[in-house]
Amino acid sequence: MKTFKLKLIYPKWEKLKGQTTFNLPPHGPVAFAATLPEWVDVTFTDENVEEINFDEPCDGVALSMMLSTQVKRGWEIADEYHRRGKLVIAGGISTMLHAEDMVNQVDSVFLGESEGRMEQVMDDWINGNLKKIYNYMGNLPPIELVGPCRRDLYKRELYNHKGVQMVDLFHASRGCRFSCYPCAVSYLGGRKFRPRPIDKVVEDMAGIDNNRLFIVDNSLAQDKEWEKELFRAIAPLKKKWISHTIEDDPEVLDLAAKAGAWYVYQAIYDTSDYIKDRIKRYHDHGIGVEGTILLGLDNQTEDDIKRLIDFLGEIDLDLAEFTVLTPFPHTKVYDDLLRQGRIFDFDWNNYNAGQVVFQPKHMTPERLQELYDYAWKSFYAGESQEQKMFRLFCNVAVREMNDGTFRPRDRKLVNKSFGKDVVRNIKTA
Amino acid sequence: MEVSSDYYDEKFIFKGEWDMPSVCGLMIRNVKGKTYIIVTELYQENPGTSVTYAGRSLVEQICEAKGIDIEDITYIECNPDTNSKLSFYDEKFFQVDFDADLEHRYRQLDRAELIKIMGL
Repeated sequence: MKTFKLKLIYPKWEKLKGQTTFNLPPHGPVAFAATLPEWVDVTFTDENVEEINFDEPCDGVALSMMLSTQVKRGWEIADEYHRRGKLVIAGGISTMLHAEDMVNQVDSVFLGESEGRMEQVMDDWINGNLKKIYNYMGNLPPIELVGPCRRDLYKRELYNHKGVQMVDLFHASRGCRFSCYPCAVSYLGGRKFRPRPIDKVVEDMAGIDNNRLFIVDNSLAQDKEWEKELFRAIAPLKKKWISHTIEDDPEVLDLAAKAGAWYVYQAIYDTSDYIKDRIKRYHDHGIGVEGTILLGLDNQTEDDIKRLIDFLGEIDLDLAEFTVLTPFPHTKVYDDLLRQGRIFDFDWNNYNAGQVVFQPKHMTPERLQELYDYAWKSFYAGESQEQKMFRLFCNVAVREMNDGTFRPRDRKLVNKSFGKDVVRNIKTA
Repeated sequence: MEVSSDYYDEKFIFKGEWDMPSVCGLMIRNVKGKTYIIVTELYQENPGTSVTYAGRSLVEQICEAKGIDIEDITYIECNPDTNSKLSFYDEKFFQVDFDADLEHRYRQLDRAELIKIMGL
């Protein structure tokens, strides 16, 4: 009988300075693990919350990487395993974005989505024929093949902050029909919106031992009828969830609220009344808003950025997340800035959306970096990020208490934060 | 964000990065003994690699398909105007020299210059 012990690793990355760090259970590795044949015995290490035991016996190693800032660490891990005579395969979003570099660092690169593919890959591996590249780019599997993730691989206690369980990540669709300027999703998952069958979504969601989810789909506002059907179908589960944009339609917002919409990520790209009203419409339905603000676009002067930051105070955002424009490969912004010779830093460790790696049009890179720091400080000057998050947390806890789904914090873990001891700064008289 | 067919004579299907099926707009003009190849990014209509990312590989595929000597061409990339509210989707043309270093590889042309060099 065939057996293969696979060690699946999610490399760590350096978190952005000055921001509250939360480690969510990663989605990509467990989605990938669900596509492995039964005879593969997989163990999972998320290096963001635990050390890698390089000497743990295994037959091979798989690196799952989402962010550009994981790529170089992934190569270091591969080197460690090469020294131990192990072969390493890499996959995931940033493997696809950085594939040209990746092929030189690991033994095998998997490009594309893994549903329906891994039986062949693992057969090749166990028979000593692991190929350098498994290329399924542009050859996407039927969306019906996407099944429940292997969430049993998580060490749950590590995704816990003072006894509060972190949200689970979930996807109801793949692909995106939009081609937004800084985004690579349509390159990775296809330029067509690919919704999962509703019954599969409900079955999958119901099976997650967590009442709080983050629906990570690029945007739910891609097919209004599917979106309405989705919200009607998941409402009885009484889960509470975060997502990206929801359709700006009273009926859809009403259904979303009834289905457990907790808060959404909404791009704040100008200071218009439209944006102000959009935020209000979410709030009118009891849905919180975390504004996502991208700084450094060519149409932003210093004054524009300052005005945008001031505007955030007028629209009653619950949270705000600032990023600087980052030219990730396979985005239009990469093409544009490359052609204009404006990218000065190709160190992928710096592609964290908090560090300026290009020459802005209307200011120096240093000035943009200052404005980015100013934006964070300014927005959270009156109330810290943790305090604002706590307010959102209270909001969801009240809703859960009202519908009987509230779970008190795990008292055994109140002195732990993502597996580490909590250091409490208690003042004594 | 549909791209006007005024930007191209035909749609050219090519193998993008990792052989991804990809498509761009293509216009070939012979002006005063010179051959100009203009490729246009089709954005949503292109399921694969952008013309910029495809780079030299795309030129080679066009020249092979059309029987053109790659040494005899002037190659131009076009970002078409898509009537977007965002300035990033305004019309831009770039003459590309793949033998130059990154800093000098792309030279932006305005429409007037394009008309002048191509006689359009």
